Amino acid sequence: MTALLSMQDVRKQFPNGTVALAGVDLDVQPGSVHGLVGANGAGKSTLIKILAGALTPTGGSVAWQGEPVTWRTPADAQTSGVATIYQHIPLAPTLSVLENVFLARRGWRRKPRELEGELAALSARLGYAVDPYALVGDLAIGARQMVAILQALAQQARLVVMDEPTASLSQGERQVVFDAVRRLSADGTAFLYVSHFLDEVLDLTDRVTVLRDGRVVADAPTAEFDEDRLVRAIVGKDLLRATREPSPEPSDGEPPLLEVERLASPGRLNDISFTVRPGEIIGVAGLLGSGRSELLHALFGADPDATGSVRVAGRTVGRSPGSAMDCGMALVPEDRTRQGLFADFEIWRNVTITSLPDLATLRRTVPDRERERDRAREAIAKLGIKAQGPESVVSELSGGNAQKVVFAKWLFSGARVFLLDEPTSGIDVGAKADIVELVQGLAAEGAAVVVADSEFEELLGVASRVLVLRRGRIVAERRAADTSEHELVLLASGRNDKEVNGVRA
Amino acid sequence: MSVPDALRVRNAGIVYAQILLIVGLTLACALTGRPSYISGDNVANLLEQASLVAILAIFMTVVLVSGNFDLSVGSVAALAAAVSLGTIDEHGIWFAAALALLSGLAVGLVNGLIVQFVGINAFIVTLGTLTGVRGLVLILTDGRTITVAEDRSFDALATIQGGFWNVPLMAIGGAAALCVAAVLLARRRRVGRDVVLWLIAGASLVGLGLVGDVTFRYAKTVYYLLVLTVVVWAVLRFTVVGRRLYAVGANAEAARLSGINVARYKIMPFVLSGLAAAVVGILYGAKLSAVNPTALQGTELEVLAAAILGGTSLFGGSGSVVKSVIGALFLFTIANGFNVLNLGANYQDLIEGVILIAAAATYTVASRRKDSPPSAPAPEAAAPIAPAATRPQEVLNG
Repeated sequence: MTALLSMQDVRKQFPNGTVALAGVDLDVQPGSVHGLVGANGAGKSTLIKILAGALTPTGGSVAWQGEPVTWRTPADAQTSGVATIYQHIPLAPTLSVLENVFLARRGWRRKPRELEGELAALSARLGYAVDPYALVGDLAIGARQMVAILQALAQQARLVVMDEPTASLSQGERQVVFDAVRRLSADGTAFLYVSHFLDEVLDLTDRVTVLRDGRVVADAPTAEFDEDRLVRAIVGKDLLRATREPSPEPSDGEPPLLEVERLASPGRLNDISFTVRPGEIIGVAGLLGSGRSELLHALFGADPDATGSVRVAGRTVGRSPGSAMDCGMALVPEDRTRQGLFADFEIWRNVTITSLPDLATLRRTVPDRERERDRAREAIAKLGIKAQGPESVVSELSGGNAQKVVFAKWLFSGARVFLLDEPTSGIDVGAKADIVELVQGLAAEGAAVVVADSEFEELLGVASRVLVLRRGRIVAERRAADTSEHELVLLASGRNDKEVNGVRA
Repeated sequence: MSVPDALRVRNAGIVYAQILLIVGLTLACALTGRPSYISGDNVANLLEQASLVAILAIFMTVVLVSGNFDLSVGSVAALAAAVSLGTIDEHGIWFAAALALLSGLAVGLVNGLIVQFVGINAFIVTLGTLTGVRGLVLILTDGRTITVAEDRSFDALATIQGGFWNVPLMAIGGAAALCVAAVLLARRRRVGRDVVLWLIAGASLVGLGLVGDVTFRYAKTVYYLLVLTVVVWAVLRFTVVGRRLYAVGANAEAARLSGINVARYKIMPFVLSGLAAAVVGILYGAKLSAVNPTALQGTELEVLAAAILGGTSLFGGSGSVVKSVIGALFLFTIANGFNVLNLGANYQDLIEGVILIAAAATYTVASRRKDSPPSAPAPEAAAPIAPAATRPQEVLNG
């Protein structure tokens, strides 16, 4: 059988000398679901962009249904029958589902009746019902994903490239996407499925290609892989168990460093009390919408509606992030681009923003740029940030390195209480291990750490105690050694309410 | 790579444009047998003409850096002019000036509070105050021109605005350069090449200025502009307050979560802009001793054009006061050039419009060239930072 898409020795070198792809072979069979995995920086994005026609390769050849092709623009690729669904779905939020699905349709006059019929047919094929006149901006992210798939179908795509399609979806929404992919592939549409979620890849795909440093390091039917083998291929070494070492529990005698009493916020948090001792890492386990981020923001004084008291070493924290900082708190927020970083600033201006007066002369009013740069250099060395130097602009860094810059903001601010919101989301394995090590190091030096994470397994790897959060309440508290991912999922999702109610309400 | 970053087109485009324009006009004057373009008189004239708009441009830049927008400056200046001229005869200059400043401060505060706490886009809010305050001017003046009658009022107005000051700017500049050298020397405790350069420049300027007794005879408003430029530039460039202002403009949420009082840094620029507009209004009224209800209409667009020519981003987080001032000078140099060369004044607006767009295009293209090709170590690193909305259950999970 001729491959639908066949890439031979595809190379991409950027004009500045960076080699993103160093000779990649990839065959996608018609009607198959092909998994593509790799760490950040392995070359996945470049490969996707080449398939989408957004980049042209500098070497090698691409064949489409046996014919050599060169796609110079995204329109070329779409005409051939490749549809690419990016992680941030580029739909027009102010237009209806119908308008979005047929956005690329040519012609002068829209014929809504005809299009409506066509949409109904597509949606039957997909097995997903959608209101043609709903505004895309009003839809949940999962439903938007489905609209993007419908758009791909409307373009008569033979190959749909999906970049991290489930990253921001809930469990139920994921299932809908999986069903759609399975159904359409049985129908003859091929998928190139790019994902960080290895269980999904193992579950859904027929074949997996693993990229590392711009090369294919493994390519085999999915049945030949298990998660261990996949991880080894992605990482290139066995570093996976390194982090499964729960932090030691601090001795009982020490007074708590962080005390939270009856913290509440209307519609977000309800009657939350707990304490954290120096050297302790507390996990907050909760699903999307459980109030994880809201809890950390309220602790940090960033929620003006919050009530109750938060004390650091006996000192009451006021209702502003400034006051929380003065008390020695630090927040690493969930969305680092939007909440944590100044993307157009250099590393040094990002790192020192929290401690400017300390680095300033003339009664702490005039920051000393040399000292700021030294501070940034120190951070780069200490955290292993991969960048050319303090002058590198943060938007040019990869996810893991950018996250390290967010940490660096607080490492030198004299903080003793660290609030970490999904600190390892969207970053590759190597950087993840670095950050886990960093967090453990902070605790070892006597800091109190609160980590919120939706990946409970990971939480159990670093925390000594876990608070389970559901609908803004702490519904259970467990020592990490006494619980399992399974139990935490049950508690957090409230699937087994009887059991939960017996524990601690 | 040998060109320092500060001298590249995307950072210093307006400086080059201004130099080219002056060279061009000078040559044109020389070739057509007119008096020298860069004569002291013409330069002094040009600076005086540009000074009011340039003062507004300074504070417009502050507002733009904070991530906002102020369209109301022209109306506020007219209000201040009307208020000060309307009250000076009866209550004297101090009262008149204070009341005018207060009205500017009030409008600025209203702008800032509404933008920050109601959350309406600054464009809309200040479009509203632009119109509303102009209406207030009409009400206060009853649609007529306000003039000053008393002699002591004329005298007082002349004291703040009229006439010239002779200032040994060259010697002052040289002294400033010597100070820079001293500061550098004290901080680094060794003699670098830049210290030597500052020393030489400072010493020669002071020497020339004193020996040659070089003084500059400019209108008072030019000196106001000079001082304000230097002060605001220094605050933005060197202080903690300045850095935080840029941070708030670049990413307000990240700034808030870094412990910065964002509301303060969003509102203060509006207040300053209102105050500056009031100052400009007082000076404008003082110069003419009269103000009509449509005075300074459209000034806000000229001010914005100056800031944009100076490369200030409309999205906040970047911009330079000095370059905005040069932008204002550039606009007035064009107008002045049309005058001096006796070209049809009808063409002036067309040319200015074209230049504005060309300038914006130059900045955009120049910074795009910097961004691509990706200069980061890995190609994926050049892509936007992975959004944190993703929560990949990553490979570590067994």
